[in-house]
Amino acid sequence: MSEATGLLREPWESFERQSEAGTLGIWAFLASEILFFGALMLTYTVCRIENADAFAAAGRATNIWYGTANTAILLTSSLTMTVVVQATASGDNFRRLILACLTVTAALGTAFLAVKGFEYKDDIEKHLVPGAQFALTEKSAQLFFGLYWTLTGVHAIHLTIGILLVLRLALLGFRRRLELDRNPEIRVTGLYWHLVDVIWIFLYALIYLPGRAS
Amino acid sequence: MTDALLTGDLPLPAHPDYLRDGTSLTSWLTTTDHKRIAILYAITITIFFFMGGAAITAVRLELFMPNGGLLTSDAYNKLFSFHGIIMVWFFLVPSIPNTFGNFLLPLMIGAPDVAFPRLNLFSWYLTIAAGAFTVYALLAGGVDTGWTFYTPYSTMFSNSHVFAAAAGVFVVGFASIATGVNFIATTHMLRAPGMSWFRLPLFVWATYATSLIMVLATPVLAISLLLVMAERWLGLPIFDPAQGGDPILFQHLFWFYSHPAVYIMILPAMGVVSEIIPCFARRRIFGYDFMVYALIAIAGIGFFVWGHHMFVSGQSPYANLIFSFLSFVIAVPSAIKVFNWTASLYRGQISFEAPMLYALGFVGLFTTGGLSGLFLASIPVDVHVTDTYFVVAHFHYIMVGGAVSGFFAGLHFWWPKVTGRMYPESWARFAAILMYSGFNMTFLPQFVAGYLGMPRRYHTYPPEFQIYNVMSSSGAAVLALAYLLPLGYFAWSLFYAERAGNNPWGASGLEWTTTSPPPPKNFDRQPRVDRGPYDYHPEGESAGLNPPEVQNAREVR
Amino acid sequence: MSTQNNHARKTPWDFWRRNSLIWAALMALLVLSLVLAHVPMGSFTVAAGIVIAFAQSGLICVLFMELIEARPLIRLAAMSGVIFVAVLFALTLADVLSRVAGR
Repeated sequence: MSEATGLLREPWESFERQSEAGTLGIWAFLASEILFFGALMLTYTVCRIENADAFAAAGRATNIWYGTANTAILLTSSLTMTVVVQATASGDNFRRLILACLTVTAALGTAFLAVKGFEYKDDIEKHLVPGAQFALTEKSAQLFFGLYWTLTGVHAIHLTIGILLVLRLALLGFRRRLELDRNPEIRVTGLYWHLVDVIWIFLYALIYLPGRAS
Repeated sequence: MTDALLTGDLPLPAHPDYLRDGTSLTSWLTTTDHKRIAILYAITITIFFFMGGAAITAVRLELFMPNGGLLTSDAYNKLFSFHGIIMVWFFLVPSIPNTFGNFLLPLMIGAPDVAFPRLNLFSWYLTIAAGAFTVYALLAGGVDTGWTFYTPYSTMFSNSHVFAAAAGVFVVGFASIATGVNFIATTHMLRAPGMSWFRLPLFVWATYATSLIMVLATPVLAISLLLVMAERWLGLPIFDPAQGGDPILFQHLFWFYSHPAVYIMILPAMGVVSEIIPCFARRRIFGYDFMVYALIAIAGIGFFVWGHHMFVSGQSPYANLIFSFLSFVIAVPSAIKVFNWTASLYRGQISFEAPMLYALGFVGLFTTGGLSGLFLASIPVDVHVTDTYFVVAHFHYIMVGGAVSGFFAGLHFWWPKVTGRMYPESWARFAAILMYSGFNMTFLPQFVAGYLGMPRRYHTYPPEFQIYNVMSSSGAAVLALAYLLPLGYFAWSLFYAERAGNNPWGASGLEWTTTSPPPPKNFDRQPRVDRGPYDYHPEGESAGLNPPEVQNAREVR
Repeated sequence: MSTQNNHARKTPWDFWRRNSLIWAALMALLVLSLVLAHVPMGSFTVAAGIVIAFAQSGLICVLFMELIEARPLIRLAAMSGVIFVAVLFALTLADVLSRVAGR
């Protein structure tokens, strides 16, 4: 398992092509994910166009500090993930660096979820869950929070999957069950991780920023 | 008699074909062989096909009489909804791509398997899980929203099992995406040496174009259903007009997928027909390049026309104009394809084996469906016939007349390759003609009934429409028989029919150069390709009787 | 790969140098969008947030996800998602905007 040929899988004859196919496959899947979240953001956009004032008022009710902290956490995790992928691609056996950065990436992802958990707890205590007990009186503010829970919830599921994938790589790596150098699985996981980050960047602008200036 | 002996090669050591390479149930359920996964899919969608068919049989029986009496309104709503959901997502969308696409894509490009074999199997398990949700929705009491899940009815008013049905469709969407990603990577990365893009058979192009739509459109369907589920389950007021939500937005999201989904169903059938017509006319396909461009154009433009489903929804008139214009545009590449199939027959030496009968039936029925589609793209006519049987007839001409005919055409054409057995030709021709007649008996009267104003989705109707409904229901009985016949003779052929040679049709194409059934890794030698597809008789030369020189799975000296 | 010696082994620092700069730019953009969101500029405030989000995701896609050195095919795959989201937005908003304006 020390050479790249150990990573060759059926039905491939060339490791280069297998690796390229992995990259193409994940990008095709990410294009699919872009449309997945694109459709959610379109729903948000249409609702916001039709209910601009309510969205500004409801946006103010979100906690911008949780949101900003989480954005910073995810941006940092993208940095460590990039180091993982580039160190892997160099093929120069940076085992300790790769494993350390994988661990930090997973830890940052978990930190994001922890912050998110505190934020959800606050939201629930402030009655920001749509329903009879809803705190805000503006018409359509419930609509904003309906989308808030959907968008952040679906994103959190994606991030959880990302954390599990990164943890899997880290655990296999620590137990020397995974060839780290030039492994296409690491690049594929990295690309997925970055996309989850990119989606959050847009969610940050859509959820936390509206209504701050007025 | 084999090619190898004729050319003086030493026979290769005997080894089991893919069907006999492991016979236990486990060997099937854990297989990563694309050919076996294709068979798993074929069994699955056959079951779903007859489930959806059973539901519509009850509906057609009910419509025999103006006042019905067989079903309650509620049961009627649930049966046609179940029919639609099962037929669209569990039969038509996976039908050709996941069976023939899976089986043939690697064979046609000269590859040992698809790019991600384990993902391929995973996609089948997702389909099974999704089917379980949907069948549960039926058994638990059914869903009555129609296959379209329109809000606010589906979110706020329906008391049926919308959540389970929507969850089923949501999950099967991911199976579709996984298959699409797999096929895209396979087509790009696993083509045999010499298999350049413009040497690909049109079926490969069609599968590729279909995969693009699957990957890019399905996630939007997933979101539309996810939002319906969130509103029903968690009470989030996404589409509730009282809370500022926009029910029409649901229709945008839904049709952004569901209109391209029509092309998911029809493009692979076009691919199948493009393989069969040249073979049985002994001609090259007319205008290969334009056939390719037309496939890609249909897949692309298909994303721009969804709003023609929403002309009466309250969508803005400006959007109506844009979508109406774009819907006319997509008729152009479809027409190019019809002209080219027809032109491929010109001066051909046509023989009417069953696959050819189905393929010619496809061309006629698809053209009828497509032309009636132009009526629906024009706003004044559409406003008149929206939600009538005219629309029902139109899309059944495309989906049943087109996609299902294409499916049966492919089933007969590649049956010898898949199973190693010939099917009984006379029975097959009889079934093909029966299917064509039964289909027209069923759906032609619906154009008239719809144009005269009979609305869809009602289980009672004014007595003046009875004549059309009686014609329709009797036609449906003929159609049902025509669908049951192949089940019988295909099963018979598995045990008693004569063995098929490697290339019983004298067809070109790499899949015919390997044995029938193929070995587990498809080819004993790496195929090398040195010419384009459809190497039959070129234009200007008359067709002879001898089969074409089959592309050889050997190095060319 | 730029050196003559095939075995010019990289050091961990090689990976941190460039990427930390990108990370710093991302963080600066985050602070900028946070600040701009509190400045009353009408609809320009909204636009600022979205434009900065596009800038940040552009940096991540091009540099972190290595689209800059990817084959054209990969870039096309990445673009296809964005293109079809644009189609989805453009045609849906063609309806919504003219519908809202007509109210």
